[in-house]
Amino acid sequence: MKRYFTGVRGIVVSIFKRFMRDKMALFFTFLFPLIFLLIFGSIFNNKSISFDVAIINHSQTEFAKKFVEGAKSDDKQLLKIKDVNGIDQAREKLKRSEINGIIVLPEDFGKAGADHRPSGTMKVLYAKGSDQAGSALSALLGQVTDEINKRMGQPEAPFKVASEEVGDKALSNFDYTFTGLLAFSLMSMGLFGLANQMPSEKQRGSYRRLRASPFTSGQLLLGTTLVYTVIAMISAASMMLVGALVFKFQMRGDWLVFIPFLALAAAMMTSLGLMVGSWAKNENQAAPLVNLVSFPMMFLSGAFFPAYLFPEWLKNISQFIPMTYVVDGFRLIMTESAGFIAAGTQFIAVAVTTLVVYIISIRIFRWE
Amino acid sequence: MENIGKVGWIILLKCANSAERKWKYMIQTKPIINVSHLVKTYDGKNVVNNISFTVSEGEIFGILGPNGAGKTTTLEMIEALRTIDGGRAEIDGIDVAKNPKKIKEIIGIQLQATTFYDKLNLREQLKLFASLYGVKVDADALLAKVQLTEKAKNYVEQLSGGQKQRFAIASTLVNHPKVLFLDEPTTGLDPQARRDMWDLIKQIRDEGITVVLTTHYMDEAEILCDRLAIMDAGKIITMDTPQNLIQALLKRGFKKKQVVEQANLEDVFIDLTGKAIRE
Repeated sequence: MKRYFTGVRGIVVSIFKRFMRDKMALFFTFLFPLIFLLIFGSIFNNKSISFDVAIINHSQTEFAKKFVEGAKSDDKQLLKIKDVNGIDQAREKLKRSEINGIIVLPEDFGKAGADHRPSGTMKVLYAKGSDQAGSALSALLGQVTDEINKRMGQPEAPFKVASEEVGDKALSNFDYTFTGLLAFSLMSMGLFGLANQMPSEKQRGSYRRLRASPFTSGQLLLGTTLVYTVIAMISAASMMLVGALVFKFQMRGDWLVFIPFLALAAAMMTSLGLMVGSWAKNENQAAPLVNLVSFPMMFLSGAFFPAYLFPEWLKNISQFIPMTYVVDGFRLIMTESAGFIAAGTQFIAVAVTTLVVYIISIRIFRWE
Repeated sequence: MENIGKVGWIILLKCANSAERKWKYMIQTKPIINVSHLVKTYDGKNVVNNISFTVSEGEIFGILGPNGAGKTTTLEMIEALRTIDGGRAEIDGIDVAKNPKKIKEIIGIQLQATTFYDKLNLREQLKLFASLYGVKVDADALLAKVQLTEKAKNYVEQLSGGQKQRFAIASTLVNHPKVLFLDEPTTGLDPQARRDMWDLIKQIRDEGITVVLTTHYMDEAEILCDRLAIMDAGKIITMDTPQNLIQALLKRGFKKKQVVEQANLEDVFIDLTGKAIRE
């Protein structure tokens, strides 16, 4: 038994040293997920949402002039006004997606009405197909006009809705996205990393030398799993650090629940890579298998698209995707402060999957 | 007269002494490898076809033969790297088919064109290999033995062909094997590196390790091997000491077309470039 672990330790130390000396591997493990995080983070981070718009002012009123000036000096930078010299140029820019919308102020905008108060209707033009940007922009301008109405002492509307935040702190869009990204980075580390590394090792012939000794495939797989699980956890930790520092990600859960779950999730993703790598003789065999495993996981686990948007039949399928439990587990623990019991299903599902996949890997392992 | 008698006695004693040593050597050597009726079948064809031989302890035993003769397959069956389809192989009394793990613990294997892990220096590689056997190793002593002390911190990919091959030998010695298997140990090496490798193999034999090797070079087989077997089409067609094989051929009336030269081109090469190894 002691001999067994001497061998495992030997291979762990070797793989780890080689990994740390491999600049490409380091880039794809630690820097690449961070780049991913920065890109996705800035897309989903509420604060940085802004609209590029052009304003076409047909009105000569003082009110309209003030409105345009106010929009240009908006300190929240929600609206970024692009200069255009006419409606045609603006439409052209809209077509090329250089701007998200056009605000048109008609001739009578800001003219005093019957009650001597300025009034008017502005029009928001947006490109065909980008309804989302259009409705978001309309809603934003709706808020702006509400605010103006209030300031001008418009009598209060007879009905209004009082809204209040519920819960300790509002869950930001980023917090939700981040948990999905974390699961995705574990997957890319464990699955893509190992499924490529093992077959290339076979092709290089370095496993042949190991095989000449009394070293077993079980020892090799155990050692490899350990290294990659730890590396995946380090990568996740660096992501969390950047998430917290740059995007103010809030960890609501208990670290003592989160860390064991992270370890299990990393082990599960690693075991999936191990399974592909064990079987595949070379990288050509590994590539389609990796896609076969990773695509359903990426799209059906709810890492990127919320699972509640799925039709019923797709929801049923997503129940059988192992990564679904990783994503759900992260969200339950990190954003809803779930404990061991509340996240029990996820803990058990991930642990059982890891064990089953690991046993399959040992069974189907091929030395060369 | 007295003096002559004395000298005669001394000569006689010396002869007897050496004869006794030889005799002792012969009765002491026991077979360490026992192969009987070994068979390997691929697609209904016997690529190794019912071969039997024994190798004595402390011997350098060579397996020669053209490509595809079954040399490597034979070795790999004895090394417990390939399943044995028929017959038996035994090393130091241990059955290979029944106890592959035990066999691997007492042998060292240098595979044809061995590749090592990249990005690991020589010292780290040797420590890794020792750990695979569950033992500790004095990596620096092993590297000194194969004259690679100053390369201890280099990666394998930075070594020359000869150095790589010497390192491969060092890596097979981490577990203090009883038998060492070398598959074409000098293929692709320059004449200096080959001579250097021969010295190393002899040195290992002198330490009591039995060596089994395959080669395509007849000069190498003649210089290194105590005994050799020639294989063709999966069968051993002859087996003896190199000298006996040559004598037997001459007795059958063989004559070379040309008069034997006093030197050949390789002698010229070595004379001009020296024996010192180049890296």
